[in-house]
Amino acid sequence: MDTFLLSLTVLFAGGMFALIAHRQFSLMKAGYIAITVAGSLMGLSAIWPTLQGGSPVSFSTTWLHLFTLSFTVDSLSAFFLLPIFAICPLAVLYSFHYMENSEQCGRVAANYFFLNVLVVSMALVASADNLIGFALVWELMSLSSFFLVMYEYQKEATRKAGYIYFIFTHVGALCIFAAFALAYSSTGSYDFASFADMPAKVKAIVFFLALAGFGSKAGIFPMHMWLPHAHPAAPSHISAVMSGVMIKMGIYGIFRLYASLGVTDLIFGEVVLCLGIISGILGVVYAIGNQDLKKLLAYSSVENIGIILIGMGIGMIGVASGNMVMASFAFAGALLHVLNHSIFKTLLFLGAGAVLHKTGGKHLDLLGGLMKKMPTTGKTFLIGSVSISGLPPTNGYVGEFLIYYGAFHGLTLGGSSFLFVMLAIISLAIIGGLAVACFSKVVGMVFLGEPRTEKAATATEAGFSVTLPMIVLAAASIFIGLFPEPFINLVFLGLNGIKSLQLVGPEEVAIVAGNLAFIARLFLAIFLLSVALRKLFYLKKEIVRGATWGCGFTQPTVKIQYTGTSYGMSIVDFFRPFVRIRTSYSGITRIFPGRTTYESRIDDIAEITLMDRIVSPLLYLLGKLRWIQHGHIQLYIGYIIVTIIALLLFI
Amino acid sequence: MINISQSILVITLLSVLLSLGSTRLTSLVKIMALQGVMVSLTPLFLKDHGSFGSGAIIFFQIMILIKGLLIPGLLYMAVKRIAIKRDIEPFIGYHASILSGLAIILVSVFITNSLRLTLPAGHDIVLITAITTMASGFFLMMARSKAITQVIGYLMLENGIYLIGTALTKHSHTLYVVEFGVLLDLLVGVMIMGIILHNINSAFDDVDTTLLGRLKD
Amino acid sequence: METFIPLAIAILAAPLFPGIILKVKAFFAGKNGPPLLIKYYTLIKLLKKGSVYSNSTTFVFKLGPIVSFASAFIVLLFFPFAGGSPLFSFHGDVIALFYLMGIGRFFTVAAALDTASPFEGMGAAREVFFSTLAEVTIFTVLVLFYRLTGSLSFAEYFTGENPISLLSASGALLLFVIVALFMVMLTENSRVPVDDPATHLELTMIHEVMVLDHSGPDLALIELGSFYKLFFYAAFITHILYPFTAASSLVNGLIFYALLSLIYVAIGITESIMARFKMDLVPKFILTSFALVFFAAILTMGVLQ
Repeated sequence: MDTFLLSLTVLFAGGMFALIAHRQFSLMKAGYIAITVAGSLMGLSAIWPTLQGGSPVSFSTTWLHLFTLSFTVDSLSAFFLLPIFAICPLAVLYSFHYMENSEQCGRVAANYFFLNVLVVSMALVASADNLIGFALVWELMSLSSFFLVMYEYQKEATRKAGYIYFIFTHVGALCIFAAFALAYSSTGSYDFASFADMPAKVKAIVFFLALAGFGSKAGIFPMHMWLPHAHPAAPSHISAVMSGVMIKMGIYGIFRLYASLGVTDLIFGEVVLCLGIISGILGVVYAIGNQDLKKLLAYSSVENIGIILIGMGIGMIGVASGNMVMASFAFAGALLHVLNHSIFKTLLFLGAGAVLHKTGGKHLDLLGGLMKKMPTTGKTFLIGSVSISGLPPTNGYVGEFLIYYGAFHGLTLGGSSFLFVMLAIISLAIIGGLAVACFSKVVGMVFLGEPRTEKAATATEAGFSVTLPMIVLAAASIFIGLFPEPFINLVFLGLNGIKSLQLVGPEEVAIVAGNLAFIARLFLAIFLLSVALRKLFYLKKEIVRGATWGCGFTQPTVKIQYTGTSYGMSIVDFFRPFVRIRTSYSGITRIFPGRTTYESRIDDIAEITLMDRIVSPLLYLLGKLRWIQHGHIQLYIGYIIVTIIALLLFI
Repeated sequence: MINISQSILVITLLSVLLSLGSTRLTSLVKIMALQGVMVSLTPLFLKDHGSFGSGAIIFFQIMILIKGLLIPGLLYMAVKRIAIKRDIEPFIGYHASILSGLAIILVSVFITNSLRLTLPAGHDIVLITAITTMASGFFLMMARSKAITQVIGYLMLENGIYLIGTALTKHSHTLYVVEFGVLLDLLVGVMIMGIILHNINSAFDDVDTTLLGRLKD
Repeated sequence: METFIPLAIAILAAPLFPGIILKVKAFFAGKNGPPLLIKYYTLIKLLKKGSVYSNSTTFVFKLGPIVSFASAFIVLLFFPFAGGSPLFSFHGDVIALFYLMGIGRFFTVAAALDTASPFEGMGAAREVFFSTLAEVTIFTVLVLFYRLTGSLSFAEYFTGENPISLLSASGALLLFVIVALFMVMLTENSRVPVDDPATHLELTMIHEVMVLDHSGPDLALIELGSFYKLFFYAAFITHILYPFTAASSLVNGLIFYALLSLIYVAIGITESIMARFKMDLVPKFILTSFALVFFAAILTMGVLQ
């Protein structure tokens, strides 16, 4: 535990260093990065024994002589700490060339400070062991990430995004604290361990309240609205950390809650599964519909959270019906997908940031052809895209396979469970197919083809500190895909904490992991053979370069390329009741048509519903109460006195 | 190996799904003909319906004739003669209709299981088919705009009711007499519809029921 | 040896069968048609040629043919042709294999987008959409198979004590699967009525337009990959039609290839008597195949078993 606390102290010191040294811009960046990387490495070494199967370590202290704060790193915590300590230093390293504006050194320093506060608070969230401690660090996490989103506070859109995030994260926190208060009033103890003693009814209320709260952090579908606003507004390495690591804390919360409540009713699994299906499918549909690169990635986070929840839902149904093969593999898949998503989503956000940095545009239909200009970014982004589409031989596939494997073993159940499992498999297939559509679109529109604008045509490759983290992450993606065994073992170790789950034996796990590794390597071998075969066929052959065949059209321009909007429209249209498509077309009126315009936009139904059904009525209602506000300070003092007297009456 | 009554019912269910997904009126009418024949054959092949007298045989033959030939024939004539535009023009799209059909089947399975009726063996799938057919009939009436598809939806509803009767009874054809009366009513209804459609068609340009909504003023 | 010979025959014979389709189509048109071995000649011709690459393209364009070939080829290694044991097999391989086909599609699509041609982009958009729907049908088939036998690999489906086939106890349900898989086969292999590779207008194609810019050995790899894919789907359906449990592998092989030819003839007949659908009817077509299988899966819920 000492190393763990020391690493957190070092990380915090790194943040302070950035604040102190902000006048020396380059020194500040270099020093900050060095300290942060060192702190993270210390953190990794602190959790290493636990990841190897060591016993949990804990630490506790009193606070205000009233509360006890205790922190424990058990195997589940350690698993969630792994992405925190592994991904964050890469994002920090990335910022060296990404944050280049030395005139705003103060803001950059503040950004660095809050980033490290975020890292520290996330590490504490993942290790918090009682309610008070958890609530404190959860709040710290929400606040520090709010300041990170607000980096470009002069922009109207950023401020709006920040406030949306603030509201969502605090409504979520409200639900979580309500759940905790209920739990405390029921058990009289602050420990997570005492959760299991609650009556079943209270357990259900606590679970669903906290699910709503954690869901708004994780981005489960109707509560996901802050993601597509906050991610585009924040700097890219911040989006990467938030999407890759921070939203997983919501998932961690659900995992921890499930483990400590020990609930085994079907309904919990079914609700989580349904939420997962909705988030997964609609997330990827909106990702296909959106053409803003970072917004698209934000929606894709919703999709991946959906996949994780599908895995958890199947696992819970498996536990509820006593099918432990199903439960073990589905939970393992969900947990592994947490790690995998933090790898490839970070990679993609960093890549998107590099593109944004070099071209100034993040609208898909204004980019193109960047593979030639930014080869490293392009190649790593391609690997990330393959991985996020869940295709072998990359890591995205490993997690999804385990979920599938668990789900298929649940098909022998009877009645409604069978139905839920079948729907889960079908929706995983839909999500997989649509993810291919979505990320082939991104790669195709951003990196392939011809540049659609001047800025895209003149882009150059980003600096080494930008490309290096991406290379590392891409390599990790492929490595986990080809050598999944140790990671699957790690996941099963992490699952030990769930008491109601009897894990399958290590032999069966080893067989499945071995098969996965085998088919990935076999595919790689056949791929390499095909490459060799192709080389053989091209020996001493004439190779000519020419223009693309225009199907008889001889004057092609870059503008006739298929756009991302049209690429995705038929798919989005298929899901029309769940997606609102608005188009405006000026039409052609005269024989010699003037300038015509066509615009289409895709609106989030959750957002529209929230606006129409909740925000507008609320505003109307609150507008009626406006007479309370007069702006005279004397009146407010009067209010305060009246309130205090009224409250005193109740004592 | 393959149970005949089950196969008939499965074909009936399929015809329901197909009718929800069909885009052409003529093909819809053909599917209804098939469905009519299958539905009227069902009681003949259920195990415990036992022996049939000569009256029953004639009764079922008339049934097949009306359901499978007469009504679809009249509908077909209506489609052809009045030259209705052959596309179906849905309010709810074909994709959504097919998926709704699947959902209806699922719900029927659940309803049948939760009713916990003491049905004779093999009759629960009859009940599932019956509920599905009825609900899909309603769905068709609701989701399509043409008057003729509404009649077809009604026909499907009637098929469903007939099947429910089949599922819940073990006795001979006498119980179908009421049903038979309804069928005759329906036949008259189809004929009248043909005449009215013909008149509407000569009076207006289209037989879309959405246009009928304007008559309220 | 037992496992290698059927596989080798399958790998070598796959390009033969599309010739049958052409023959059938020619028969319906009252023509003589090209020789049966036409696809071999085409492959040899393509392999002899050099290539033209577009200036817009990058290495992704060259990866397209390789990955799509590799992903089609790897499936054959896991398939128990004519009931013999496959080269490799493990519990769960079907999931992996259909996902591997997905990576083939990803790179075909990426290669198409790499050419900056609007037509290829259009084809790519259609391909990803339609094959997503087809994938849903396939996974529902896998759900149904698991429900029936509890197995999760091609070898478990079609070999052993109780293979899945039309003649087994739950044969009636498999009728739906066969029809649905036939529809999926037409979709995934870009045959009429979903896609018409023989049309003169690139605007109306799906798969064929995506490979417009490939030439020479690259195109040969793509063609070979597509032959393997079609062969796999046809073999899949053949195995559901008839269980290859005869003692002699020679008899099995003969029956297998006879039935397989019948499937190709059926494709040829379908292509001859049907026209290509309007593009907006294609999703409905695939959705119908899904509805069939899903329906069969519902029937396993304690109703028909």
